[in-house]
Amino acid sequence: MPAAPPEPATAQQASEDRPAVRATGLAKSYGPTVALAGLDLHVAAGETVALLGPNGAGKTTTIGLLLGLLTPSRGQVRVYGRPPAQAVAGGLVGAMLQDAGLMPGVRVGELLAMVRGLYPEPLPFGDLVGLADLGSLLGRRAGRLSGGQAQRVRFAAAIAGDPMLLVLDEPTAAMDVQARRNFWRQIHAFASRGRTVLFATHYLHEADDAADRVVVIAGGRKVADGPPAAIKARFGDQQVRFTLLHGSPARLAALDGVRTVEHDHSRVTLHSTDTDATVRSLAGSGLAWSGLEVGGPDLETSFLRLLGEGS
Amino acid sequence: MTGFLALELRRSLRDVRYLILAVAMPVGLYLLFAGLFGARGQRAQGLPQPVELMVAMIAYGAMWAVFSATGPRIAHERAIGWTRQLRVTPLTPASALAGKLVTALAAALPAMVLVALTAVASHHVQLGAAQWPALLAAMWAGVLPLALLGLAIGYLAGDEVAFPLTMALYFALGALGGLWMPPSVMPHAMQDIGQALPSNAVAELGWRITGGQASALRAALVLTAWLLSSATAALLAYRRPNIRSTH
Repeated sequence: MPAAPPEPATAQQASEDRPAVRATGLAKSYGPTVALAGLDLHVAAGETVALLGPNGAGKTTTIGLLLGLLTPSRGQVRVYGRPPAQAVAGGLVGAMLQDAGLMPGVRVGELLAMVRGLYPEPLPFGDLVGLADLGSLLGRRAGRLSGGQAQRVRFAAAIAGDPMLLVLDEPTAAMDVQARRNFWRQIHAFASRGRTVLFATHYLHEADDAADRVVVIAGGRKVADGPPAAIKARFGDQQVRFTLLHGSPARLAALDGVRTVEHDHSRVTLHSTDTDATVRSLAGSGLAWSGLEVGGPDLETSFLRLLGEGS
Repeated sequence: MTGFLALELRRSLRDVRYLILAVAMPVGLYLLFAGLFGARGQRAQGLPQPVELMVAMIAYGAMWAVFSATGPRIAHERAIGWTRQLRVTPLTPASALAGKLVTALAAALPAMVLVALTAVASHHVQLGAAQWPALLAAMWAGVLPLALLGLAIGYLAGDEVAFPLTMALYFALGALGGLWMPPSVMPHAMQDIGQALPSNAVAELGWRITGGQASALRAALVLTAWLLSSATAALLAYRRPNIRSTH
């Protein structure tokens, strides 16, 4: 046999030697449309990293490239030191894609047993059922599940091979609040086994809750990279809105966490870095108000502002 | 790979559309036609009626079996995203394609054998000991181009189009290919078209073998041409980028 380049003998070794993901100058264009304009991305083995950005930022393109589903126009990406298709073929990667589905006409248990069989060192079946909370679903037809159940099975299919790198593209998009909480608990349980997780999201709070590090992309470029707290401080433009019935508007700017104040007649919008603190100090301020609303981070606005600052 | 193949096969056997159209339909049509036309007459091929009809219905059943296991099923899997999910597992694209092809061919065999058993049981069709395996093996190999055509449809057509398109092709290839009625009763122009079709060539192989004729050169050439063009079409269809990326 001809001499092959040295490959890690096991998935375990692969994780110790190399970064899980290393992308340099990664770019993808579709004709004149630039989906990704030169991304550098480094994910160390064992990290949980969020890829945060608004719709159209290039998140799905990035994921497609690092799974080998797309070919880069420029630049390069390596997964555990290998070209993406090789890493996938070697069983190092598991993925939950946005519009991926399940094999029709088979039972959930059969489907997962088959997927496990494709990997060199799959999760023991019992562990898989436990991690993805599947007990009651194993005998069900994969094509006849509710949205939330199908999501659990898709997650199970992604981790069935016990991959070193788990890639998730907006995994909670179709979930309610309770399902989201359960889902992130499961991801955490999986990651705590020393696995690397990279997930795309457009929810800042999700990145904040679940990730060790957040990479923000917008317009096909990386605009920020850092710990969640730093990203939140920079992008977390949350709003507190109410109608001011009585009291001096001048005092509003002095409330805790308030960055800027907007008025539309008596309707007030406070842009805050910490809405909890702002509401608390509003309640204690002696001002009279009604119709309180608290709005989550408006990422689109934050990104536009940041892109404006950057250029 | 073996697990993938085993599950695909198990799934085929549960597919009601497959069971009805690929197995029940040719068996039913055989009994109907053989009953209508009688057991005594001869048709254009110079074979006894029950033998000629048996070969035609073996081809017909095998054709739907390979079509139903490929075209509509693959188009549906692409539409619901199973194809994408499978692409991010270690199963290589070549193995996935090979699995589809083997499943399609495996689906054809029960349909073929059941029509043959029906012919033996109902009309006492008798062939030489070497003729049976030769007949089934040649016709089984002969549906390979049809299976590849099904793959091409599956990777090209959308979910809504694939099933009606496959059905239309199945009926057209059956009728024009002389599986429903002997080609000799059709107008000359249609006979010429019919002779160039893979459905007719598969049946022709069977008719030659059951008639004791050694050579089926024309049928073999037709099938080879269809094999090469369907394989090319299937490969091009499969490699067509099917990744939607709007984000």
